[in-house]
Amino acid sequence: MSRNSSIKVTLKNISKHFGSTRVIDNLDIEFKAGTLTTLLGPSGCGKTTLLRLVSGLEPPTGGEIWFGEQDVSDYSATQRDVGMVFQSYALFPHMNVEKNIGYGLGVLKEKKEKIRDAVTKVLQTVNLDGYQKRYPDELSGGQQQRVAVARALVLEPKVLLFDEPLSNIDSKLRRSMRDDIRNLQQKTGITSIYVTHDQAEALSVSDEVVVMHNGAIEQQGTPRDLYRRPGSAFVANFIGDSNVVDGVLEVEAGRSAILLGGTRIDLGERQIDNLPGKIQLSLRPEMFQLRETGDRERHVVGTVIHSAYLGAVTEYFISTPMGDIFTTSPSSDGQYEKGKEVFLHFHPDQLIILPPARA
Amino acid sequence: MQALLGERRFRVGIFSWLLIGVLSYLVLPWFGLEYGLFDSTMDEYWDALGWRSHPLSLGIPILLLLFIPFSRPGRSRKIEGRLLVVLALAITIVLAADFIIPNRSMGLGSGVILISLAALFSYGIARLGFLQGDVFISGAVTVIILIISVFVFYPVLQIFYKVIVAKDGSLDPFQFFDIVSSFGIGRVVLNTLYLAISVGAATTLLGLVFALYSIRSTSPLRHLMRIFYILPIITPPFVVGMSLILLFGRAGVLNDILMYFFGSGGFFIPDGAAGIFERSGYIYGFKGIFLAQVLSLTPVSYMVIVGMLSAINPAMEEASLTMRASRWITLKKVTLPLLAPGLANAFLLGVISSAADFGNPLVLGGEYDVLSTEIYFSIAGAQLDFAKAAALGILLLVLSLTIFLIQKKYLSKKSFVTVTGIQTSGNVTPLPIRLQKFLTVFVCCWLALIGILYISIFLGGFVRQWGADYTLTLMHHKELWSNGFSSGGWPSLTNSLMFSFIAAPLTAIFGILIAYILTRKKFAGHGVIDFGTVLIFAVPGTVIGIAYIMAFNTAPIELTGTAIILVITMIIRAMPVGIRGGMSALSQISPSLEEASLLQRAGSFKTLRSVLLPLLRSTIISSTAYSFIRSMTTVSAVIFLASAGTNVATTYILSRVESGDNGVAVAYGSVLILTMLVFTLLVQAVTGRSRIEKQM
Repeated sequence: MSRNSSIKVTLKNISKHFGSTRVIDNLDIEFKAGTLTTLLGPSGCGKTTLLRLVSGLEPPTGGEIWFGEQDVSDYSATQRDVGMVFQSYALFPHMNVEKNIGYGLGVLKEKKEKIRDAVTKVLQTVNLDGYQKRYPDELSGGQQQRVAVARALVLEPKVLLFDEPLSNIDSKLRRSMRDDIRNLQQKTGITSIYVTHDQAEALSVSDEVVVMHNGAIEQQGTPRDLYRRPGSAFVANFIGDSNVVDGVLEVEAGRSAILLGGTRIDLGERQIDNLPGKIQLSLRPEMFQLRETGDRERHVVGTVIHSAYLGAVTEYFISTPMGDIFTTSPSSDGQYEKGKEVFLHFHPDQLIILPPARA
Repeated sequence: MQALLGERRFRVGIFSWLLIGVLSYLVLPWFGLEYGLFDSTMDEYWDALGWRSHPLSLGIPILLLLFIPFSRPGRSRKIEGRLLVVLALAITIVLAADFIIPNRSMGLGSGVILISLAALFSYGIARLGFLQGDVFISGAVTVIILIISVFVFYPVLQIFYKVIVAKDGSLDPFQFFDIVSSFGIGRVVLNTLYLAISVGAATTLLGLVFALYSIRSTSPLRHLMRIFYILPIITPPFVVGMSLILLFGRAGVLNDILMYFFGSGGFFIPDGAAGIFERSGYIYGFKGIFLAQVLSLTPVSYMVIVGMLSAINPAMEEASLTMRASRWITLKKVTLPLLAPGLANAFLLGVISSAADFGNPLVLGGEYDVLSTEIYFSIAGAQLDFAKAAALGILLLVLSLTIFLIQKKYLSKKSFVTVTGIQTSGNVTPLPIRLQKFLTVFVCCWLALIGILYISIFLGGFVRQWGADYTLTLMHHKELWSNGFSSGGWPSLTNSLMFSFIAAPLTAIFGILIAYILTRKKFAGHGVIDFGTVLIFAVPGTVIGIAYIMAFNTAPIELTGTAIILVITMIIRAMPVGIRGGMSALSQISPSLEEASLLQRAGSFKTLRSVLLPLLRSTIISSTAYSFIRSMTTVSAVIFLASAGTNVATTYILSRVESGDNGVAVAYGSVLILTMLVFTLLVQAVTGRSRIEKQM
């Protein structure tokens, strides 16, 4: 089923208003050919609406949608050549697996044998061959999900859409299902868009992640980019855990330094886009090593206010001059009691300086 | 490949409708036939063809041929769409003018051409991107708007028009105020309101009592409440009134008993002394109508309240009990307040139904005039005062529309019963013991009364002359059923069965289609269908009756006296059942199923047929069955429209009541009830569950 004719999907100046609510307003975005892109954001951010605009199930209020070099804005969902996996799977309860998957081929008036072969082939890709005669209510949640994927794939669509496909599956199974989806997408090379509100799912499954907030795009990039160089406090908080703190940037003769709650951190000759003065930083919980000793000039000092032992790691809340900091540290590094004074060691390169807030 | 397939279908569709239009112009009558399609001579048929008698009409097929270029590809979608729409509209206007200006009535042929124009119009708007270019749904929307316009908006507007036309044909804009301020009308309106509010209050109270009893009591008697579901469905509305006459009328059982003991020469009265009791018609008037309506409408309010009561989360009452509240206090402080919206709903429903009821006031009214009967008497018999009927119709329409809109606006969303999807556990809290004991006695009395009523209906058909001569006889049934199929009860019964048989499936189909379009589609014109539906739900049968007489008695659409108008009336009258059934069934089906089908390249027709219809099958069966029963028992609208040749069962029975043949009427009524009962039980056996009950 692999093919090299993947297309990119482009939304130009797209808007969707429901009455006076502007769910999406003048948004531009491009999904690269042959990749899996995740739309990630809290509920109500417009990610599902965006997916439905691409599918044609929801007509846009304004703007254009292009599949490759073709303007499909006027095409209905039926004409658009997309496959979709619904959150609820939307398997037809009165049809068995074979009929469900073969439904679209039947609409296209394919021959019976051809339909049967195609169904068998696509069931093999999702490891469900032999389940042809089962009805949806005779399948487990994970199996239903795979039938839904098979049904979306069988017509070899130009674009594959996933609407929170794993939200109804328990957490242990979810991990293997998301690997399956990832493998399948890479094997078929169909341009895919995947909606989720689970950041771990988004990071693990996608080539690119688009973080959405209030109907606008906060940041688009690879999972690694988003984690290591978040473009805003929102992204820093949403992708992984983060302590967003204020600091002051000083630049002198090509060398820069940051004042963090009274402690001066020398950054050497690191290139920084921000202007000197007040800045925001994102501090990842795992960047700190907690020590009983340190240099009061170079290290931040704090007091443990709360600790929680989670097995492999221990979580701490530490009160410091730059604010309350949340950290995780390997439990093997030792335990610190509530009220204990600790030094926060970290490498200056791991400080994430957030770009100045957009107007 | 898919695009090509759709393109081909589009061309073939346009061409087919074109062909249908031109063919029906050539072979079907352009003008209405005086004696109907089947009773006309060949010559009359020949003369009614457009190209024979009316050369001007040749313009229509020639204009239609302009569509031919569209059955071949080429041209941009937008231009094509605009041309189709403009052409279809233009030809429709020409066609309409051809009938309205010379005031001639339309025939079957011109009707079919109108439908094919509507289809071509739908292809046009679909091409312009309406409803995302879906031809089938565009067509359904066009047809539904057309039907609603012709059979709901147009007749209702006719009422408003008739009220400003004076008897001599001149316009009189203030006639409405003259009529409603004339002597007696104020009393009729007050009578209607007084009756409606009393009945609303009484049915709500009784409905609450029975609902509490059937859901919360531990008495085995509560299972008997089930008959509440079936009886009102299968009983024609005026039959309760008839049985009250048998029991409490001048020659009724109660009068007989009282006369036997207290009348002149009675058991307790010394020979020769004057009786202290005289036969009286106490049942006629307010008391009788009130009793009959309470008896026949309580089940409706019962069902509304039961629905609400069984949706209350038992945990709330259990919480109250754990906080040291007694069952009484729990009932008063928790259960009843939670039920308040349901009670208000039941009350308004009772008020509307009472004001709209026609059969009971007709049979039992006596001197007590209400709007619905007053409308009927304004145009039945010698008076024929259309302006007065129209004015009264407007009053009744405004009354019921107002209440309906209040109900829709304030109560539909105001439910305290929240659906969380969380499985509620816990047991329902039973009633306080003393309350249950009291209610048991009350329920027994009520059931006994109902039992006696129905027994009297069945017995009434088998005695020579109720009140005077109680010898058992088959004469009434013989007169009805054994004088051949062309006399007695047979013609009206076969008419009823035939019309209802045609109307029922159409009601179910249109009901589901309207429900589907209203709940699942967003488009310009949505409001038109929504408003039309509101009118269909709210317009009382009597108002539909006079509206149809005013609208369809003359050109351009002349339908009175035909079977078609009766079938249409039945469809419109039963439509609320179809729509409600469709809505509740669709709310159980996730829209993502349809979306999944659309994404599998299926159009919405294929989606409806392959995905929705199989899932809606039981709803369709029960909707059809229930519409059938509704059509068989309806009276208020059809009584205006049934003619000698198209008499139906209910109008036949009422005509026998009016001529004093109560025995025959009751005999017929009991046969009708039995037939409907058997039918209902059969359908329930087929569908497996008591779905009809649920739809009320």
